[in-house]
Amino acid sequence: MSEVTQNTYWKSLNELAQNKEYKNFVEREFPENATELTDGVSRKGFLRVMGASIALAGFAACRRPVQKILPYSNQPEDIVPGIPLFYATAMPFQGSLTGLVVENHEGRPTKVEGNDLHPGSWGNTNSYHQATMLEMYDPDRSRFPLRNGEKATSNDFVAFAQEYFADRNKRVAFISEANSSPTFTALKQGALQKFSNAKWVTYEPFGEDNAIEGNLIAFGSRLRTHYNYSNADVVVSLDDDFLAPTHPNNVEYAKQITGRRKVTSTSDSMSRIYSVENGFTLTGSYADNRLRVKASEVEAFANALAGALSTRINGLNAFRSVSNQFTGSEFISALADDLASNIGRSAVSIGLAHSANAHAVVAAINTSLNNIGSSVNYLQVPSFDNQNNTQAFTDVVTELKAGNFDAVVMIGTNPVYSSSFNNFSDAIKNVDEVFHLGTYKDESAKSASWHVSRSHFLESWGDGFSFGGARSVIQPQIQPLHDSLSEIEFLNAIVYEEKTSGYDLVQNTFKGYYGARFENRWKDILHDGIDIRDGYDRANVRLRTVSPSQTSPVDGIEVVIRPDASVFDGRFANLGWLQELPDPMTKITWDNVALMSPATAASLGVENEDLVNVAVNGKSVTIAAWIQPGHADDSITLNVGYGREGIGRVADIGSENSQLLDPSEKYGGVDIYPLHTALFVSGAISKASGSYKIACVQDHHSLEGRDMYRKATLEKYKDTPDYASFKYVHKYPVPGMKEAAELGEDQPISLFDEQTYSADEPQWGMAIDLNSCFGCGVCVIACQSENNIPVIGKREVNRGREMHWIRNDRYYVGDENNPTAVHQPVPCMHCELAPCEQVCPVAATTHSNDGMNQMTYNRCIGTRYCANNCPFKVRRFNFFNYPKEYLTTGEDPDIIQMAMNPEVTVRFRGVMEKCTYCVQRVNRAKINTKIETGSPKPADGTVVTACQQACPADAIYFGDLTDENSTVAKMKRNERNYLMLEELNVRPRTSYIAKLTNPNPVLVDETNQEPAH
Amino acid sequence: MSKYEYVPEPALVKGNHDFASITKLVTDVNLRPTPKLWYFFMLISNALLGVFLVAVGYLIWEGTGIWGLMNPVGWGWAIINFVWWVGIGHAGTLISAILFLFRQDWRTAINRFAEAMTIFAVICALMFPGIHVGRIWVIYWVFPIPNQMAMWPNFNSPLLWDVFAVSTYFTVSLLFWYVGLVPDLATLRDKATDKIRKFAYGIGALGWTGSNRAWWNYEKAYMILAGLATPLVLSVHTIVSFDFAVSMIPGWHTTIFPPYFVAGAIFSGFAMVLTLMLVARKVYGMEDIMTNDHMEKMNIIILVTGSMVGFAYIMEFFIAWYSGVEYEKAIFMLRATGPYAWAYWIMMLCNVISPQVFWSKKLRRNVGFTFFISIVVNIGMWFERFVITVSSLANDYLPSSWDYFSPTIWDVLTYVGTFGIFFTFFLAFLRFLPMVAIAEIKAVLPQADPHNYDENQEYHPHVVEIPKPQVEKV
Repeated sequence: MSEVTQNTYWKSLNELAQNKEYKNFVEREFPENATELTDGVSRKGFLRVMGASIALAGFAACRRPVQKILPYSNQPEDIVPGIPLFYATAMPFQGSLTGLVVENHEGRPTKVEGNDLHPGSWGNTNSYHQATMLEMYDPDRSRFPLRNGEKATSNDFVAFAQEYFADRNKRVAFISEANSSPTFTALKQGALQKFSNAKWVTYEPFGEDNAIEGNLIAFGSRLRTHYNYSNADVVVSLDDDFLAPTHPNNVEYAKQITGRRKVTSTSDSMSRIYSVENGFTLTGSYADNRLRVKASEVEAFANALAGALSTRINGLNAFRSVSNQFTGSEFISALADDLASNIGRSAVSIGLAHSANAHAVVAAINTSLNNIGSSVNYLQVPSFDNQNNTQAFTDVVTELKAGNFDAVVMIGTNPVYSSSFNNFSDAIKNVDEVFHLGTYKDESAKSASWHVSRSHFLESWGDGFSFGGARSVIQPQIQPLHDSLSEIEFLNAIVYEEKTSGYDLVQNTFKGYYGARFENRWKDILHDGIDIRDGYDRANVRLRTVSPSQTSPVDGIEVVIRPDASVFDGRFANLGWLQELPDPMTKITWDNVALMSPATAASLGVENEDLVNVAVNGKSVTIAAWIQPGHADDSITLNVGYGREGIGRVADIGSENSQLLDPSEKYGGVDIYPLHTALFVSGAISKASGSYKIACVQDHHSLEGRDMYRKATLEKYKDTPDYASFKYVHKYPVPGMKEAAELGEDQPISLFDEQTYSADEPQWGMAIDLNSCFGCGVCVIACQSENNIPVIGKREVNRGREMHWIRNDRYYVGDENNPTAVHQPVPCMHCELAPCEQVCPVAATTHSNDGMNQMTYNRCIGTRYCANNCPFKVRRFNFFNYPKEYLTTGEDPDIIQMAMNPEVTVRFRGVMEKCTYCVQRVNRAKINTKIETGSPKPADGTVVTACQQACPADAIYFGDLTDENSTVAKMKRNERNYLMLEELNVRPRTSYIAKLTNPNPVLVDETNQEPAH
Repeated sequence: MSKYEYVPEPALVKGNHDFASITKLVTDVNLRPTPKLWYFFMLISNALLGVFLVAVGYLIWEGTGIWGLMNPVGWGWAIINFVWWVGIGHAGTLISAILFLFRQDWRTAINRFAEAMTIFAVICALMFPGIHVGRIWVIYWVFPIPNQMAMWPNFNSPLLWDVFAVSTYFTVSLLFWYVGLVPDLATLRDKATDKIRKFAYGIGALGWTGSNRAWWNYEKAYMILAGLATPLVLSVHTIVSFDFAVSMIPGWHTTIFPPYFVAGAIFSGFAMVLTLMLVARKVYGMEDIMTNDHMEKMNIIILVTGSMVGFAYIMEFFIAWYSGVEYEKAIFMLRATGPYAWAYWIMMLCNVISPQVFWSKKLRRNVGFTFFISIVVNIGMWFERFVITVSSLANDYLPSSWDYFSPTIWDVLTYVGTFGIFFTFFLAFLRFLPMVAIAEIKAVLPQADPHNYDENQEYHPHVVEIPKPQVEKV
């Protein structure tokens, strides 16, 4: 993107028109709407239509809103209306960047995709990356700086900073989120030089401090552990949920893990994953052998594992004397045998939140297993502080309380919320000036004397490194929507007392790197989004003596505090897409719960939705209980990020009086931070009175012995490659095949006239590899972003009206206390003999020539017969007019509207909708191919659906079935390919590739059961 | 002498009525001043009608989301109520057409009444397919109207068949009813004293003169319409059952549905006729015309159709097991033991167990008890449709989609509101139209039998001698 001074096209439409709505929007201030923010009705309205519409303010009673459009008077270069442009950028999260490519329509970004060239992405994303689009357009974002709660401008702030920070003797405490940016790191050093009495702390509630400190113990320097699971045949996760989006590098790890487990023939091998954890995580559900232990016992397990290995390999002599509850267990010895026989081809990891000592033990194990250099690398990260940040933060809080600082500067963090355990809000009362840079007017912003709105990364310049150390530039996709500063502009104003654009700051950094070759290499990095010639150095490590760590298992009930899969540490709490994304394991939306095992729940006498009191050191929270099969006993898992007030309409807690006589419902969850900050702590739990309604999208968790999900062990697959076939599963052939054979047909006979397809049309089909899918749910968010799917709110989800076009079914298999879990994404099957098409009285759903089952929204009258007759229940109905509500109750619809994909119709109330196989992408590819080559059939790989594009496991294959060499056609020829409900003869175009597991044969127990047939 | 007993048909009209007293008995209801009680009940009915209009207005304003519908359960109370009302609407045409063709003279006492009920029930039923759609303003797309989109409806869809079946049924029933009314309207015209009534009934009477020619045409038309209506009695609920049977949802996809739905419809229709008749004959003093003999005959039909329905329920279970289809087996087990078991057992109790009491002649002839059972049967039949519609959808193929349906207040109000429509029409009918087919009932009086007159046209009623039972001696 060479154009730096972006046109403000999307704002200028209204600006040009100077219409009333725009003026209202410009004039509007936060406090004026304070009442509106807590109003149930407007919140409900907002939620219903977060999906929003492209329509501008019209008449509330109109059936279709009126929209004003204006033509370009001066056509900008490179922009062809209707043709999207793609620019590279990168998303910072937890001190690492993930490379992205952003789809722009006429100057406004609409969709985030992965960057093929970027090693933190390899073309894929996680749900946070997808949802970040909504964050930028979030109407509740901080729109202007606040000086003591009053509206100010960023220029006011810069002017204030020039004056205030002129005094170099100011005692300033900088509290920043983790940031890999070299520009930022240079400014950090500048700040520490300028203010000799300053302290700098990098504060992340769920950061990697312990991992870094563990490496300091093991190797003598602060390093990052970076795994390469492509080289690992045996993977051991000790409570390390590296497949979940809460891990800063989950996309790369998911890619590597699932890549090592791609099986296309019986001669292929796959890695084996062991998981030891208290909760049931995505990694645990994807593992071949899972052991549930309390979180506080995981460290003991690591010691015991090192002890078991010490008798098998060299280098762990210090652990020979380890003896704890795990020593000599079957699991440990089987695992140790497996590791010892895969020297140099294994990877052992432990959750980031576990103690530094535990990380040191794991580092020792990996070193002794000779994994370093192949599956495990240690990276030197220049942005790391030369201190134990956990300790430093505690110290700074103590010093703040003692009044040792004049000013505190919080950059991107929200410690008032996330460190409420430390009473951080009291600490900053002893400070003259509290500066806060943040995306929302959050808890810290409200306590600050200066709150500065933070530019979203999609609208600001920046730079940084991926988790593995690849250098990228963050380039903006749009001019900042609000009066905001990026973190480097903010820090620059403090350190150098001037307002310099982020563009200049980043360019200066890169001029320093590239020198004379700057012009070309700058263009290259902007184009590619990455400079592969540059990155973190691998450290040559020498293991110091690591001794078994002192463990402190919790007797009785342990309370485990973790980031949430949807809202992480609370930073994504106002994103409706994420709030409504079902939790990958519990399938709960909109709230957090106290997860516990069935046995623990039984001993407490609680059931799902019963309120419980969780008490830790005299503090307690009251929260709904939820039974998580497979959870460790006597362990309660709580997720943070909820229980917010004054953040935004999505995040805030409240209650909603819905329809007449419906019980009032509460939403927003419970704040867990006041309990504790560490991973686990001893606590107490008791049943409280009352219950709390939880919106869970899947009520039934058993397959009921049905064959929708088919899996087998790798060994069994090698014996019986057709284990997933209908005939093998049911012991008889597909009904109708015998008759078809007599007629010389290869598909079961049908009652109906079959659709005939012309030979010059491509025939689209999808295959979903269940062996790759680990259930993260990014496909759901990607689909939501691509297809303008509305967010409907907790009440509507509770009524069972979720709108997601692709859902992720999760079933438990086996014993309730210790089951395995399987994940199955279900989009529309695009049946060739579609039952929905037969029953529509007005022919609103029909078949296209290229084999897709299509919905004609304009023709639909909404009988819902199609949805009833869909055996897969993938059709979604607009029970209310979600977009209309938005137009009448939203304060400035033009902002959220910009997040919509203009290529996809916003559906009106009363019509059915469902997965379209991203028909807009299909048709764009068909048109382009026709223009470029004259062929009606796009080449394989040209059409990528949104779910397929986002999937870090590459579990979804899509393409032209008439092309025998297309990937999807090959996958469908695989013997593991099966059709859901094949006996119905609806002939789905979407098929599944059956799951394989690779459990340790020594440990075959109920956790490795196949679904019963 | 035959060895069999001769049991003469009891007189269809009790009491010592002649033509004039019958005319007076029936037309008095329409011609005397409106009783206060009528206004009272009309007010209640109008209030319920208002409830219906508000519920529908809110529905159209907000969307079908105000109902308890959700993802697996796309059809709820609206379709249940539709099928229920259509079912009720079966009795009238069955009584007037099929019993007419079979020369069952006892029908004359109740046919007018039952036909009116049919028409009003079908009106109630027709409300639901209209309002339950997401976009009511384009509901006319279901009709094959030539249009600029060059789009026909989808003739494969059972919902479209429904449109034709129910609208045809409604049209023919209405015509049939009206044709039967013509001679009686003429009677009212002639009896009425004020101008407005004379004029209004005169319009309806179509210039009826009572001539031989008129009677000849009337009888032919009535016979033809009875012939037309007879297959419709069977077809309409058959096609309604296709809405379910043609789809592929376990519990819906069964070939037993057409006969089982028709039997159920007659079952519920007769129950509804009884409910209304027992009240109306008491209020209007029509016990001489609508006698306990009628009630007993109808109770026998309820017993027969109830047993057919019960047989169908059991057969469904057997076939589910016999088919070997796991989803079919599962849904029937779930109906009886799953989340909707309460509804299933209400249905079994009301529809299968309760009518069996009518094996007892004493209970068949007990007015209070019959009234109670007639209501129980209609509750049971509502639950039958609930069980079929909701439980099948809620627990279909993929367990991940399973969910529990709960209605909202708007579901309830819409249903209750249809009683407002029904009773508003019905009360108006009772007030303004003869509730008994006067001309027809006269035809079954002994006075109408030419054998009861001698050569001089003197009336000598034939006295039936009931012979003593001849017990065969062994």
